[in-house]
Amino acid sequence: MACLLRKSLRTKALFLHKLVGNSSDSHQTLASSSWFWCRQLSLSLPHKTTTCFASNSIPSPSFSNALLQIRFWASEAAATELSTSDGLTVQRILANNWTILDEHDGDWRSHATAIAQSIHLIKRRLQWEKLKVRLDMLSFQLGKEDLWDDPMLAGKLSREHGSLLGKMKEVNALEQELLEHIDMIKLAREENDADLESESLKVLLNMRRNAKEKELEALLAGEHDSCSCYIEVQAGAGGTESMDWAAMVMQMYKSWAQRRGYKVTVMDEMPGEIAGIKRATIKVDGEFAFGYAKAEIGVHRLVRISPFDSNKRRHTSFAAVAVIPILGDGSTHVQINESDLRIERFRAGGAGGQHVNTTESAVRIVHIPTGVTATCQNERSQHQNKASAMAVLQSRLDQLEMARQAQLNAKHTQSLTDITWGSQIRSYVLHPYRMVKDLRTNYEVSDPDSVLEGDLDSFILSYLSASLDKDDDA
Amino acid sequence: MNLSLSGVYRPHSLPKLLTYSSFSTLCRPFCYSALSSSPTCVKPQVPLFLRPPIYSTKLCDLKKWHDWGKGVALSIGSTFVQSDDGPDSSMLCRELKWLMEDAVVDHSLGVEDDDRVKMRIGIEGLYCLWKQRVQERRPFQYVVGCEHWRDLVLSVQEGVLIPRPETELVVDFVADVVSENEDLRSGVWADLGTGSGALAIGIGRVLGSERGRVIATDLSPVAVSVATYNVQRYCLQDKIDLREGSWFEPLKDMEGKLAGLVSNPPYIPSKDISGLQAEVGRHEPRVALDGGIDGMQALLHLCDGAVLMMKPGGFLAFETNGEQQSRALVDYMKNHRSGSFCNLEIRADFAGIQRFVIGFHQ
Ligand SMILES: C[S@@+](CC[C@H](N)C(=O)[O-])C[C@H]1O[C@@H](n2cnc3c(N)ncnc32)[C@H](O)[C@@H]1O
Repeated sequence: MACLLRKSLRTKALFLHKLVGNSSDSHQTLASSSWFWCRQLSLSLPHKTTTCFASNSIPSPSFSNALLQIRFWASEAAATELSTSDGLTVQRILANNWTILDEHDGDWRSHATAIAQSIHLIKRRLQWEKLKVRLDMLSFQLGKEDLWDDPMLAGKLSREHGSLLGKMKEVNALEQELLEHIDMIKLAREENDADLESESLKVLLNMRRNAKEKELEALLAGEHDSCSCYIEVQAGAGGTESMDWAAMVMQMYKSWAQRRGYKVTVMDEMPGEIAGIKRATIKVDGEFAFGYAKAEIGVHRLVRISPFDSNKRRHTSFAAVAVIPILGDGSTHVQINESDLRIERFRAGGAGGQHVNTTESAVRIVHIPTGVTATCQNERSQHQNKASAMAVLQSRLDQLEMARQAQLNAKHTQSLTDITWGSQIRSYVLHPYRMVKDLRTNYEVSDPDSVLEGDLDSFILSYLSASLDKDDDA
Repeated sequence: MNLSLSGVYRPHSLPKLLTYSSFSTLCRPFCYSALSSSPTCVKPQVPLFLRPPIYSTKLCDLKKWHDWGKGVALSIGSTFVQSDDGPDSSMLCRELKWLMEDAVVDHSLGVEDDDRVKMRIGIEGLYCLWKQRVQERRPFQYVVGCEHWRDLVLSVQEGVLIPRPETELVVDFVADVVSENEDLRSGVWADLGTGSGALAIGIGRVLGSERGRVIATDLSPVAVSVATYNVQRYCLQDKIDLREGSWFEPLKDMEGKLAGLVSNPPYIPSKDISGLQAEVGRHEPRVALDGGIDGMQALLHLCDGAVLMMKPGGFLAFETNGEQQSRALVDYMKNHRSGSFCNLEIRADFAGIQRFVIGFHQ
C-alpha cells in the first residue's frame, strides 16, 4: 500500500517535471508543445504539414486558429511521437539494437526492446501510415455539413472512424506507457530506489507479454475478421480416397475450432458412398473465427498409402476449403426478395404428409437470380433447417456482393466453386516421409498427426503475417 | 442383458396402478395401456429431454451403447426403404445422435472412460428404446416423447399424431394474412383436430399479445390431454382453449363468429391405410389418419361447417392428401357451396405437392 502511494506520487512528480522541464515560461510551454506536435507531424506526413510548421514558427493572428486545427488533427490522428524525458522514442529504442533476453532474465533494455518491436509490428500490421490517412479522411467527411443526408453512410463512416481511432489510441497508450516506465526506472536509479525499480521492471515484463498478444490481434484487423464464419470442405476428384481426405480435413477444422473455444455446428453434410464426405459445411461461432479461418482457403493436398487400396499404393488426394464470413447485424446485408427464392424439400419423394413419418426435414433454398443455393439438415425441424439455410444463403450472397464491390477483398471471399484445383496451399505427406508444408509461406512441421488433430495456429499465424508483409510491399 | 425397466419410465406421481400395468407389457410406456383401458383422465407423458437427470452411467458404458446402436442402425442399410419407404441407416444414425442428446445432460460429458455421465434415463432404458425404434419401428418421436416442429418442441406420445413438417406451412399462411389484417389478428381462430396442439400453438404465437385467441378441438382424449400439456409448456393457457369433441360440436357458441379456421384432418383413403410405412401404420392412431373411402370425409364436413361458423372475410386453410384432393375440395367449395368462399387457392408444400387449400369466407 505504502509502496503504491509512493509510486503515484512519483508519477505525478515525473509528470510535472516533464511538463515544465523544457521551458521556464508557462506561455512558452503551450507554444513549445504545439511546435513539438508540428515537428512530429512533419515527420509522419511531410507534404501535409509544411503550412502548420510555418504558421507555428512565426506567431501571427492566425496562430491560435492554426493551433486549434493542429491540436484537433493531432489528437485525432495522434501523430505525436512520444518520448521519454531524455528523448528516447520507440524508433530510437529499436535503433539501439539492444539484445532481447529471455523474459525472466531480462533487464529493462531487453523488455523495452521487445515491447518496442511489438509496437512496431502492430503498427505495421495496422498499416499505420494508411490508417492515419484514412482516419484523416474520415474526420474530414464526418465534419461535412451534409453528413446526415445519408444516415446509412454517416453511420458507416462514424463506426469506421470510431474503430480506427480506438486502435490508434490503444497503440499510442502502449507506447506512452512504455516510455513512462523507462523514465520511472531511470528516476529510480538516480534516486537509488530499488523497490521502485523492480516494480517498474515487473510492469515492463507484463507489458511485454501483453504486447505480444496485441501483436496477434493486430493480425486480424480486416473488416470482417472478427466475424463468425462458415467453413466448407469439398472432396476433389478421386472418389473414396478424396472423400476420406475431405472428412479428415473437416475433422481437423472441427478440432481446431473446439481448441480455440469456438462453437461448431454441422450445417450440411453430404456423405460419400463408402467413406468420408463429398462436401460439408460447418458453422464456427466466435470472435475472430473468420479472421483466422480465412488463412485456410484453398486446396489441401494429401499424399499417403491408401487405406482403400488393397495393393497399398501411394495416392494423392485433394480437398478444397472455402470460408465465408457471417456478417454482423451492424453491416449491410444483401436484400433478399422472398419471390426470388425457390425452397425445396431435400430428398423428397413419395406421398408425404400424413403418409410418412420421417425425421429428415432438410431443405434446399435456391436464389433464382444468382443460382446460389444453401442447404441445412442438422436441425430437428424443417422450419429451423429453413432458417439456418437462409442464414447460409444470406452469407453466400453477402460474400458475392463483397467480392463484386471490392476486388481487393476477393481473395478472401472465394466460394468453393471459384477455387481452382490448381491453387494448392498446403501439402500433407504421410508417406514416404512425414511432413506438413504450407506452400505459400514454406512453413513446415514434421508431425502431421498433431496438425490433423487441429494444431493449426502456427500455420495460420505464419500465413497471416506473411500476407500482411506482402500487402506492405505492394 | 437385464431388461427390467422399473424406474425408467416412471413419470412422477403416476398412479401406481397405471405404472404397473404399463411395465407388465415390457418396455412399453404406459400410454398403450392408457389407450386400451381409456381412463377418463389421460395423464400426458413427460418427454425424455424434460425428465430429471437422476441416472448416471460410466462414459464407457454410454459409448458402448452408442456403438451398439450404430451397429444396429448400419445393419438396416436400405431394407426399410425398400419395404415401405422407411428410414435408412443414415437417418437412423442421426436419430441415435438425437436420442443421446435428449437422454444425456450435455455438460456432464467427461473425457475419461470412468467419468460419470448424468442421464435422464438408465442405460438399460436406452438399449430398450433403441430396440423399439429399430425392431418394432416405433417412431423416433414417440421414443423420445417429442417432436421439433417449427421453433417448438412438442410433446407427443402414442395416441397422438406426430405433427408433420408439411403442416408447418399452415402457420406461415396464417402469419401472412394476420400481418396485414387487424380483424383477423384480433379474432377467434379454430384448429379442428388439433392432435398435439401444433397448429393451435403455432397460431397462438403468431397472434401475439393482441386479443386474438384460438379454440382447438379433438375427438381423442389423449390428444386433448397432450395438447393441454403443450399449451401449458408455452404458457398459452389464456390464449388457447382446448375442447374435447367432434369437429364443430364443441363450438356451438361460436356460430358465425370465427375469424379463422385451420385443420389438418385425417385424409388418407381407407384402402391405403394397410400399406402405410410401419412407423405410421403400426403406431400412429388410425383416427388421426383415416379419411374414409376417398379420404375426403372430414374435409368436406369441415367445409360445410365453415359456411355456418365463419364470419364474412374469415380466412381458412386445410391440409390435404395432395393435388387430387385439393382440386376436388376447391371444386366442392365453388360448386356445392357457391357464393360462400372466395379467393380460393391451392398451395404446394416444399416437396412440390399441391398440399393446401386456402381462401376466405365471403
Ligand atoms: C392428421 S391429425 C392432425 C393433428 C394436428 N392438427 C397436426 O397437424 O399435427 C387429425 C386429428 O384429427 C382428430 N380427429 C379425428 N376425427 C375427429 C373428429 N371427428 N373430431 C375432432 N377431431 C378428430 C384426430 O384425433 C387427430 O388428432
